[in-house]
Amino acid sequence: MRHLLPSSLLCGLILSAAQAQQQSDFYTREEIPLPKGEIMELGSIALMPDKKIAVTSRRGDLWICSGAYGDDLSKVTWQKFAEGLHEPFGMFWKDGWLYLTQRPEHSRLKDSDGDGRADLFETVNSGWGINGDYHEYAFGSEPDKNGDVWIVLCLTGSGGAASDWRGWCVRVTPKGEMIPTCSGIRSPGGIGANHAGDMFYTDNQGLWNGSSSLKWLKPGSFQGNPTGNKYHKLANLPAPPQPADKSRIETERARFPEFVPPAVVFPHGKVGQSPTGIAYDSGNGKFGPWTHQLYVGEQTHSQVQRVALEKVNGLYQGAVFHFLEGFEAGLVPVRLDHEAGILFAGGTNRGWASRGTKPFTFERVRWTGKTPFEIHTMSALKDGFELTFTEPVDPATAGKPESYSMAAWTYILQSGYGSPEVDPATPKITAASVSPDGKKVRLTVDGLVKGHVHHLAAKGVTSKAGGKLWHPDAWYTLNEIPR
Amino acid sequence: MMLRSLPILLALTSAGLAQDGGQLYTTYCSACHGADGKGATGGQFPPLAESPWVQGDPDRAIKIVLHGLNGPVEVAGRTYNLEMPPQGAAIADDQLAAILTYVRASWNNASPAVTPAMIKAAREATAGRDKPWTAPEILKLHPLPAAAPPIANLISRIYPGEWQDLPDFSKLKPINVEEEHDGLISVSHADRKELVGLVWEGQITAPKAGKFTFRLDADDCARVIVAGKKVAEVRGIGPLNGSRAKQGQIQLSAGSHPIRIEYVEFRGQEAIALAMKGPGIPGWRNLSDSPVPAEKPSLMIRPTPDRAVIYRNFIAGTTARAIGFGFPGGVNLAYSADNLAPELLWTGDFMDGGRHWVDRGQGNQPPAGERQVKLSGARALAEGARFRGYKLDPAGNPTFSVQLGEQFLLDAWKPAGSGATPALTRTLTVNGQGSPVELLVCEKLALKKTGDQDYELGDELRLQAENAAFETRDGKTYLKLSPGKPATLTYRWK
Repeated sequence: MRHLLPSSLLCGLILSAAQAQQQSDFYTREEIPLPKGEIMELGSIALMPDKKIAVTSRRGDLWICSGAYGDDLSKVTWQKFAEGLHEPFGMFWKDGWLYLTQRPEHSRLKDSDGDGRADLFETVNSGWGINGDYHEYAFGSEPDKNGDVWIVLCLTGSGGAASDWRGWCVRVTPKGEMIPTCSGIRSPGGIGANHAGDMFYTDNQGLWNGSSSLKWLKPGSFQGNPTGNKYHKLANLPAPPQPADKSRIETERARFPEFVPPAVVFPHGKVGQSPTGIAYDSGNGKFGPWTHQLYVGEQTHSQVQRVALEKVNGLYQGAVFHFLEGFEAGLVPVRLDHEAGILFAGGTNRGWASRGTKPFTFERVRWTGKTPFEIHTMSALKDGFELTFTEPVDPATAGKPESYSMAAWTYILQSGYGSPEVDPATPKITAASVSPDGKKVRLTVDGLVKGHVHHLAAKGVTSKAGGKLWHPDAWYTLNEIPR
Repeated sequence: MMLRSLPILLALTSAGLAQDGGQLYTTYCSACHGADGKGATGGQFPPLAESPWVQGDPDRAIKIVLHGLNGPVEVAGRTYNLEMPPQGAAIADDQLAAILTYVRASWNNASPAVTPAMIKAAREATAGRDKPWTAPEILKLHPLPAAAPPIANLISRIYPGEWQDLPDFSKLKPINVEEEHDGLISVSHADRKELVGLVWEGQITAPKAGKFTFRLDADDCARVIVAGKKVAEVRGIGPLNGSRAKQGQIQLSAGSHPIRIEYVEFRGQEAIALAMKGPGIPGWRNLSDSPVPAEKPSLMIRPTPDRAVIYRNFIAGTTARAIGFGFPGGVNLAYSADNLAPELLWTGDFMDGGRHWVDRGQGNQPPAGERQVKLSGARALAEGARFRGYKLDPAGNPTFSVQLGEQFLLDAWKPAGSGATPALTRTLTVNGQGSPVELLVCEKLALKKTGDQDYELGDELRLQAENAAFETRDGKTYLKLSPGKPATLTYRWK
């Protein structure tokens, strides 16, 4: 009798342990061995033919890896292809060339004599300025459908624009022309397209950027930070907006139609502190059921977040969810091999610290074939949100408004660094109706606030099988309410 | 007893605050400063644990948190060159107060709580500030608390004399003996700046028994003797910049031990830096008034015996788009892709990557070698000329390519001498049809003809020019190059 109480407690513990979802059940994260003795602070990853992968280091080396797709990663081999590059952030392979965005230029290189090392280093375009400030990074995309490469140009330091086109996004055409495309950029951490070919970048919390966010590079748009505005004169473009200090994005974009609000705000500290590389899911199911969603790297927290976007009234918006974590260093580049269903991620924490404690890393993540119980998508309705789930929910829990909670807030748009969460609101979930197949829940919400981040916590929702959500939180940026 | 109980009392007080300082610290600060306050990634970021920066006068830490901190800062004997982002606009007063209260009462820190009213007052006092502090700025407003003298009963002795190495001071007579009450060794107290020897003696304290490390650097030479044993020694003439710093270890019992430091300054700059670390000492404890340069490794970049090496980062003395080539045999080139010209030539070591490959890598790094010549600092070709990249031969020697309309100017470099007779050969070719191309070869350097094809170029170089006709106007020398008629220039150090 004495043992009854403790052992029943033990049973309870075992039961809940069995129910708790773990990353390793769904995704296998593995370190890819790096060349011995080399400092591989990764800035770019490019997928090449024959399952080879090229990576660049912040020190300016370019290595090619064989075996990164194999079952036995101890068989990975490396070949040094080039050195003396200027801190590249962005690389892709096309027609026998490796294209890369270096700090001072967009370039391409190739091994023309077949000795295994690059010997041709062509400058495609170098139309932007640099002056030696460490902050003047350049992040380049893969080519869009026209073959253009999109490059986001970080400001000089935190708050200056001392060199031409700092704070802008430019496109470089295959012919080597540079087309200034968007203004208002602060401090990018990565750039990438979604499945539809629209370009996005991540911008870090700081001046005129209340919280880090994922932003849509709509051509002609202004992204919120006016520091580099003056460069419009170099190309005879109209002056970008000068937003009022200590205002709100919602207020300023009413004044300036070209001000495109962040598609998805990643609330500072809660979702991450420094978002970076972007990869989209092609929808082929090789990396899980996250059709057309984005995977976004996170440097400080050593994570990958998941973003579900939708277009409402002509603007992108959507929700960010926590997804993968535990990477060994701060992630910067991420690349998804759609066919193989492998996410490659590289990282460094030199100069900016990270939860992952190694100075640099190269890793891959594969789907185990098992899908976690998660909120699959969150989309805006005229009077609430619709959630889809990865497996049928238990109508008893998911149909109860008390299983959910919601809070909303926004940020100050200001010349100061970042912003607290302000203008708090508590939208009330008045009804939760579950679809007959149990995969959808329609939340009726009283008090949606246009322009606010809406934080949904679905802590009480269980699956039909009785499981809890792996990640019960979603942060939805409600730029537009569907008409 | 009083000191021990203080943190516990403070912890109780802070538990009463509405904001959870520990939780907020984890969210906003721990990525860099570490959950244990020791600085993330094995101390690559400044520690807060037992740091005088966060203790004592609360306004120092409050103002740094509000407005950020930029540039070199010394904490526990190490210099960090990073950028702390300002948090004042992002985090509310009560949360900042909770974070700082937590920091000041954690990890052996024992300073009183910070209230939201203090944050508010500091905000108002610094309302006009729109950029991060530098360490000297904030220390001028809020100096670090004076620490107990690190060396007790410190006495200095001055010995005039001309030495290029350490003499046997026991056989010499000092001209002056002083007590140094701040307990820090310093060359600034001496009555002369060169041709001098200094000896300091005093006692250091080992807080606990164990192995202690001493790090010494000097301009010019120095030696440290602890408990009668030589622990570290910097010999010969040279600068204090970390490159000659030496470390040594010694086992010490807990308590006081004699220390003796001997030092010689020959001519020129003078400095000494000494620090110790070991059980019971967080980080490095400075024993001198100037900190020991950070343990920034010298990352010398070298060519292999049969292949040139490239360094593309910010090189001092040329432009931001410079590309450095270090050739086997100790000849080096920095080509400016902005000015389309080779701007710097030098011999010996190529480049040290230590600046750009550590921390965030701010600033321009000068060439590592000797006998640097700046050929020019202006655009070498007409407007409209565009840098198109470079091609490497199997030895890694570059040919830079510049497009001028339909023409291409190819500028090929390779070593033509090494060691005692360093030289570089440059072959310039204009491809395609069209008119001759005029390019700048040098400026502000005298070009004196000494033979048919031979010139003296400034003080350092001889220039041999084949198929090249120069024209000098306004202190600038140009070369006119016809399509299909290559010119060869050989730069040879005298």
